[in-house]
Amino acid sequence: MKEQLKDLVNKLQMELKNCEKEAEVLNVKSKYLGKKSELNNYLSSIKDMTPEEKKINGPLLNQIKKELEKLVDEKLEVINNQEILDFDDTLPVEVEIGSLHPITIVAKEVTDILKRMGFTVVSGPEMESDYYNFEALNVPKDHPARDMQDTYYLDNGMVLRTQTSDNQIHAMENYGAPLRICAPGRTFRNEDLDANHENTFFQIEGMVIDKGVSIENLLYVMKNVLSELFKKEVSVRLRPGYFPFTEPSYEIDMSCLICGGTGCPTCKHSGYIEMVGSGMVHPNVLKAGGIDPEEYTGFAFGIGLTRLTMMKYKINDIRVLNSGDIRYLKQFNID
Amino acid sequence: MLISCNKLKSYIKNSNDIDWQKIWEKFTIRTAEVENVKVVGNTFEKVVIAEIIECEEHPNSDHLHILKVDCGDAEPTQVVCGAPNVRVGLKTAYVRVGGRIDDLEIKARPLRGVLSNGMCCSGREIGISDDHDGILELPESWENGKNIKDYLPIDDIIVEIDNKSLTNRPDLWGHYGIAREICAITNHELLPLELEEIKNDQHDLDIVINNPELCYRYCGLKIDNIRNNKTPLEMQVFLYYVGMRSISLLVDLTNYIMLEMGQPMHAFDARIVKNIEVGLANNGDTYKTLDGIERNLNNEMLMIKNGEEYFGIAGVMGGLDSEILSDTTSTFLESATFHAGNIRRTAAKLGLRTEASARYEKSLDPNMTDIAMKRFVYLLKKENKELIIASNLTDIYPSKIEEETITLDKKTLSIYMGKELEEKIVTNILESLDFKVNVEEDKYNITVPTFRATKDIKIKQDLIEEIARIYGLENFNPKPLKLDLIPIEHETIFNQEYEVKRLLATKFDAHEVHSYIWYDTTLLSNLNVKKDNVKLLGKESNHILRDDLSFSLLNIVKENFKNSNHFKIFEIGTIIKNNQNYRSLSLILADDEKNIEKNYQEAKNIIKYIFKVVKNLDVGFASNINEADYYNDKLGCIITSDKGNLGKMNVLNKSCTNKIAKKKCLVTIDIDFDKFVKIEKQEMTAHEISKYPVVELDYTIKVGKEDKYQIVEEILKNFQSAIIKDQRLLDVYEDEYEKKFTIRYIVGCNEKTLEGKELNDFKIKFIEHIRKNGLDIQE
Repeated sequence: MKEQLKDLVNKLQMELKNCEKEAEVLNVKSKYLGKKSELNNYLSSIKDMTPEEKKINGPLLNQIKKELEKLVDEKLEVINNQEILDFDDTLPVEVEIGSLHPITIVAKEVTDILKRMGFTVVSGPEMESDYYNFEALNVPKDHPARDMQDTYYLDNGMVLRTQTSDNQIHAMENYGAPLRICAPGRTFRNEDLDANHENTFFQIEGMVIDKGVSIENLLYVMKNVLSELFKKEVSVRLRPGYFPFTEPSYEIDMSCLICGGTGCPTCKHSGYIEMVGSGMVHPNVLKAGGIDPEEYTGFAFGIGLTRLTMMKYKINDIRVLNSGDIRYLKQFNID
Repeated sequence: MLISCNKLKSYIKNSNDIDWQKIWEKFTIRTAEVENVKVVGNTFEKVVIAEIIECEEHPNSDHLHILKVDCGDAEPTQVVCGAPNVRVGLKTAYVRVGGRIDDLEIKARPLRGVLSNGMCCSGREIGISDDHDGILELPESWENGKNIKDYLPIDDIIVEIDNKSLTNRPDLWGHYGIAREICAITNHELLPLELEEIKNDQHDLDIVINNPELCYRYCGLKIDNIRNNKTPLEMQVFLYYVGMRSISLLVDLTNYIMLEMGQPMHAFDARIVKNIEVGLANNGDTYKTLDGIERNLNNEMLMIKNGEEYFGIAGVMGGLDSEILSDTTSTFLESATFHAGNIRRTAAKLGLRTEASARYEKSLDPNMTDIAMKRFVYLLKKENKELIIASNLTDIYPSKIEEETITLDKKTLSIYMGKELEEKIVTNILESLDFKVNVEEDKYNITVPTFRATKDIKIKQDLIEEIARIYGLENFNPKPLKLDLIPIEHETIFNQEYEVKRLLATKFDAHEVHSYIWYDTTLLSNLNVKKDNVKLLGKESNHILRDDLSFSLLNIVKENFKNSNHFKIFEIGTIIKNNQNYRSLSLILADDEKNIEKNYQEAKNIIKYIFKVVKNLDVGFASNINEADYYNDKLGCIITSDKGNLGKMNVLNKSCTNKIAKKKCLVTIDIDFDKFVKIEKQEMTAHEISKYPVVELDYTIKVGKEDKYQIVEEILKNFQSAIIKDQRLLDVYEDEYEKKFTIRYIVGCNEKTLEGKELNDFKIKFIEHIRKNGLDIQE
């Protein structure tokens, strides 16, 4: 019987070799391990054996059964793990995806950086009152910025905001001091359109108010925001500027990314590129926001998001940004 | 504004210590932005003084002359010259052979058969004027053969300063103010201006100021016996370099004083002047200015009047009739100060922005007018030794501006600077800018010169600016803010806008666009749609603010149809309704007309998806009666939820769609984004998943051919059973006779496996419910 059983193992092995599909293996399995199989006959004959025979043949049959099962299972695993390649795996695919406006992408980048520095992102209205757009920001009645040529006045007595600085007042009113906010948003100036001028563009405003805030803090924040934004250490310089809502006021220049500061056509050979309008918050603005300028100081800054976007993506004509031309806009993707 | 370094040097002691090319980098970070630094006077070589000693007509030419010139050599030199003003005795500029004009090397060469050695030059040829009518006419006293640069300040550095960066610095609108800054930056001494004192022992001129709130000061002076009205060449070169044309000595001197001190002046022909009155114009009057243009006046424009006649527009431009003429020997000089805003408005209204008005609108110092007058007389007298002062320096100055003192406490200074500054440094900086400083233990009392007080120095922060910039902004070191570990208040609008935008772009392949806040009025009239809303003042077109964001996106849709058959665009933007700002999210699905159903369903899908993903909120749709007639009146719905209505979706009507593009459909979504932001994300609580199996039961309900699913939905809504877990529309079948909906119920129980009887009971009850409601059901 031992010989016959060993032969079973060999025969099974032979038959499994020829199997290619799961069903074939299962047929073989049933033939060798099923109810009508030779093995089963041996197993059912055990009950008629003598105790001695049982002692020898019982374990032997069990061992053979396990061996057969193992062979079948192995073969099944091999078949199940077989990769079936019955398609053309070299066909191309077309990815259809939408796109975010490039300004959205850049605004997200800048706000993410500022958020990491503890700034809250706020937003303000595009149609704004004269008070928030001018008066509270210390823009005197006679200031040229109030001229019809620059400002869109509305027939309901309001204006389309000329800068995102209105957020300074809203934020001071809403949150009080100390304060650390940034506000991306859309702004409007009454300008004729050309490749470099738009009447509708984006800025991001920033404001920090606390006890003891200094010009050096302003410098720190701007240097780090710009370095993060351009993903390399940039040097910045302060230059005297003039804005009604800050005193002192500074233009912040960044070392030219193209030449690194040695001078090239991009930076008009100055080595620097003007990036930010900024300054220490004017005491009248703090007062308008209900904050005591003798107790608190602060700084504010504004960055042209539209200009930043044009720099980043090397966009030559500002008009494409409001064109809605999908062919152009979709290249910016999601980023 | 153009600045001549030669002129600056004349006001500064030991000015040669300064590197005049490099100083401007520092000036940019101390004072104002420098746009350009240009070396001039280096376009020629070997130009000397030469005198014409013989002059003959060229035999082969009708305009050339053969000259013999004395250029300091032993022998006269022969030159052929085409200028009309050649004559014996004339001293002119002459380029020697081997010299150069621009890129042209000057050689000895025959001109129509006669040898010409070198060349006589016009002012334009050597770059000191734009005059090319003849060769230069130089003073007799200049020595033949000497380099022309020995006599004229031709070698110069001309610096262009960005006017915008001088907006708040009225004191920098003249060379002397710039020189003061250079002195402060480089620690040099500023020399005083030389003036002519006027005795004032004669009669006053008849000058009246009617509006002292608009004319702060008016100085007048009459000068007679001006015999020489020729501007010295040196001044002509300066004027040319800084962008002015030389006209006559009197006119040039007014410009010169303006360029030097920033004080505009006016010289009238004294023969015309009767009495001067400064007052407002009458509405509707006209006046012809010096440039010959008839100007319309209004009663806000300040005028200089002579007797009853208009004489000039104050601070902007004089008139033709008071012009200095070639035979003028007597002048009435004006040096005045006006209200900055008034001048700016007048200039803007007239579209006439002059050098004078540009300065007045910066708020000039009234204390400068008499000094300018004395400076003028000093300079005029250099050319006219015999001039006669024919009146008092008449000075109408109703309320004199006095110097004021501002207190700057040391504590505030150190907070702003982020560091303590030594007293001596602070004092030196301020004194170098002509402030007077009185130091106390914890503060500085600082007296501000009036030329800084009219506009930019009013409060202590203005003084901190002065100290910081001269101290050197490059000496500040970045210092981090102190960190408060307090959670900051959070406004989520920006985040949510971004999240939704990203979903629309990534999940639904939509493209974000930006459009204008006003309607395109051409589009409105093309679509024959009337919109009434807040309007921009002073505009005739594109002036109506939008109250419907998706509608305002239609011209973007129109443009994109030119290149694409189907696309989705969206914007989150501001609309104006009832004089209020609202944020709106609009998305337009643009496709071929035949795909309307697909797009309509897709729109619903997008809406449900956004609310579910961002807010965990289930929204529904309710039929809509459209207010706007540009939408299809059978389609469209309102987005409903237990938080109220959240927006709408619509289909643009056929007539409008056809005007955008033929055979297209446009499905629009408008979501009230203010409401969207305010909705809290619905809380999620975990539900146990039943351990027992669920059963799917499918039923097919027959409806009339014209019936909509809505009928079935209403009926299903009223069928209730405790074992329903879920229900959905599985399939729609439609042929020419009938319409069928297959509904799938998923039923089950959390406590046990449902028995056959329970399922059967459900089935019987359901079929009964459907039939009771008048619909047929397939068993």
